[in-house]
Amino acid sequence: MDHMPENWGRPRNDVYGEYQSAIHNAGQGPQSRTQTPSITGTSVIAMKFDNGVMLAADNLGSYGSLARFTDQERLIKVGNETVVGISGDASDQQYIELLLERLLIEDNYPQDGHHLRAPHIYEYLSRVMYNRRSKIDPLWNAILVAGKNDDGSPFLGYVDLLGVTYSSPSIATGYGAYLAIPLMRKIVSEEADAKNVSEEQARKVIDECMKVLFYRDARSLDKYTVATVTLDGEVKMDKNVRCQNMNWRFAEGIRGYGTQKQ
Amino acid sequence: MYAEHFSEPATSHVASAPIEHQFYPYASNGGTILAIAGADYALLAGDTRHITGYSINTRFRPSIHTLENLGGPERAIVVAANGFSADGDALVRRLAQRAEWYTYNHNKPLSVSACARLVQTMLYGKRTFPYYVHTIVAGLDESGRGEVYSFDPVGSYEREQCRAGGSAASLLMPFLDNQVNKKNQYDAATGLPQVATDLPLEETLKLVKDAFSSVTERHIHVGDYLEIKIVTKEGVKVEYFPLKRD
Amino acid sequence: MSDPSSINGGAIVAMVGKDCVAIACDMRLGMQALTVSNDFPKIYQYNNTFIGLAGLATDVLTLSEVFRYKVNMYNLREERDIEPETFANLVSSTLYEKRFGPYFVGPIVAGINSKTGKPYICGFDLIGCINFAKDFVVGGTTSHQLFGMCESLWEPDLEPEDLFETISQALMNAQDRDAMSGAGGLVYIITKDKIVKRLLKTRQD
Repeated sequence: MDHMPENWGRPRNDVYGEYQSAIHNAGQGPQSRTQTPSITGTSVIAMKFDNGVMLAADNLGSYGSLARFTDQERLIKVGNETVVGISGDASDQQYIELLLERLLIEDNYPQDGHHLRAPHIYEYLSRVMYNRRSKIDPLWNAILVAGKNDDGSPFLGYVDLLGVTYSSPSIATGYGAYLAIPLMRKIVSEEADAKNVSEEQARKVIDECMKVLFYRDARSLDKYTVATVTLDGEVKMDKNVRCQNMNWRFAEGIRGYGTQKQ
Repeated sequence: MYAEHFSEPATSHVASAPIEHQFYPYASNGGTILAIAGADYALLAGDTRHITGYSINTRFRPSIHTLENLGGPERAIVVAANGFSADGDALVRRLAQRAEWYTYNHNKPLSVSACARLVQTMLYGKRTFPYYVHTIVAGLDESGRGEVYSFDPVGSYEREQCRAGGSAASLLMPFLDNQVNKKNQYDAATGLPQVATDLPLEETLKLVKDAFSSVTERHIHVGDYLEIKIVTKEGVKVEYFPLKRD
Repeated sequence: MSDPSSINGGAIVAMVGKDCVAIACDMRLGMQALTVSNDFPKIYQYNNTFIGLAGLATDVLTLSEVFRYKVNMYNLREERDIEPETFANLVSSTLYEKRFGPYFVGPIVAGINSKTGKPYICGFDLIGCINFAKDFVVGGTTSHQLFGMCESLWEPDLEPEDLFETISQALMNAQDRDAMSGAGGLVYIITKDKIVKRLLKTRQD
């Protein structure tokens, strides 16, 4: 007599083989892996100039419309001469940081004359992003990679959750694509234009872009980081920068989507 | 930017049910490609604009890939996969790898016809999760004649004299029928239909530039620059031609 | 394919030349993929003004009668022919009357002003928004193909015979790349004192 009630009413193991409890325990509906982003970072913007690449991202981690974290760092220095800027899901950002840390350690063979530069990191990230989208389990981010090529020229590339990649002398993710790109393209529309733009000029435009984004992007912050990758091999991280000379007078004139009556 | 991925599925659902965020693994990145085969050349052209939605991501992203081959520069194969650019890149990279292995394994050049069959198996291999691209392969055959092969996203393919693919294919294709294959044109003296003859390269180049300039005028996905790769017995020549940027 | 404007199929195109205009259409009437008729012209003449109606065939026939009635009333009231510009505004307001239950058509108007002698063409959307074009207008399920053909074949100041060749080649090659239109072609070449109507014999598939 079997005294274990959970075994009662089951096909006998010695006759029919082990009971396949996996079928019994299977959940309802199809397997679902696709996540939705929860803590998110907004735009990352970047442009080339005569001596390198400059990029900026604010320090906000949003939880829906709630400004949840106000000291998120979204520009990550990878190695000595590359900066990766990440927008989108913050937990996926942390996972990407983990991957990049591993990559840096595993590919650290300077004695072979090999240096892990921006194009290599970009290639790696784009493969990771495309593979995850092909598993229908994407990393919910849009990423900019900035640094320099093996020949010493500046590098700037974009990759997103679909694995879509492209390069341009000025790139922005999220709302930056609508609000910052037009401002940046005024001075660097073509690859050749970057040679005529100084670091100071670039910084002025980047600061202006971050201000415009703070004016109009509701999920943004007036506190941001500016990273500058120069061709002499240095990365400057200017943290806790604040939007300057803001003028909110225009806000009075905005009508139509608030609670005001007229 | 993420808004498109947050959109609800088209099917209606009960209002009280939780909204499921659906991930759509495809996008459209615009652009148009065009290939023409001649007696002693094959030509593959495409614009360099890359878009998502109404945004121009970059004005210069060359999309015609050259596969180096055994048997000299004239055996090079040019290929472009237009549509969802991440899939296009993945397909072209994988094809380049497979083509290279072929030359190692067989120690002979990969013919364009064999390359085309390879592309078919690669596209059909992802029949249940297709590469969202219109693919065109072009090069010279053993005798030096130009050949063009075009594919649908799941691998149906055909050898042709000319083919347009991508966003503005529907604008380009009838023009090609008319000017390359002489469709609906009749000989004034005999009244018989004109027969298509191989066009000289100079004329083809003029035709391609004209066609793209016209299409740029009417299609917002097309513009910035035209990249033309020409395979002749001298090898692959690349030419760039400016298009309107609006 | 339950989209009303692409059930029956059709191609319309109009072009301006030197002191002349041309308007052309295909001859197909279909029910989705099935070709029902190869004798369904879509161009109607009112006085010296022409209108091409592409879209839902029932609306094409209805509107052609509505315009016939309205132009006849105009002729009786005004005791003169209607000018293309005036007719275009009549088309526009007729379509806009049905703003929230529209006729599923994409009309194109072509003609020469009898006073000024100036060629006139224009196109409309289904609720009457006028597209004043200086070169050419296209319409119907074949519009993409027609845009590609016209943009590359058309040039300014074509003489009537050259304009006929241009519009015919544009129409025929465009409709050959559209399964929903074809089965022949109809071309009108309009000059100040002569109207030439030609039927194009084309492939029937």
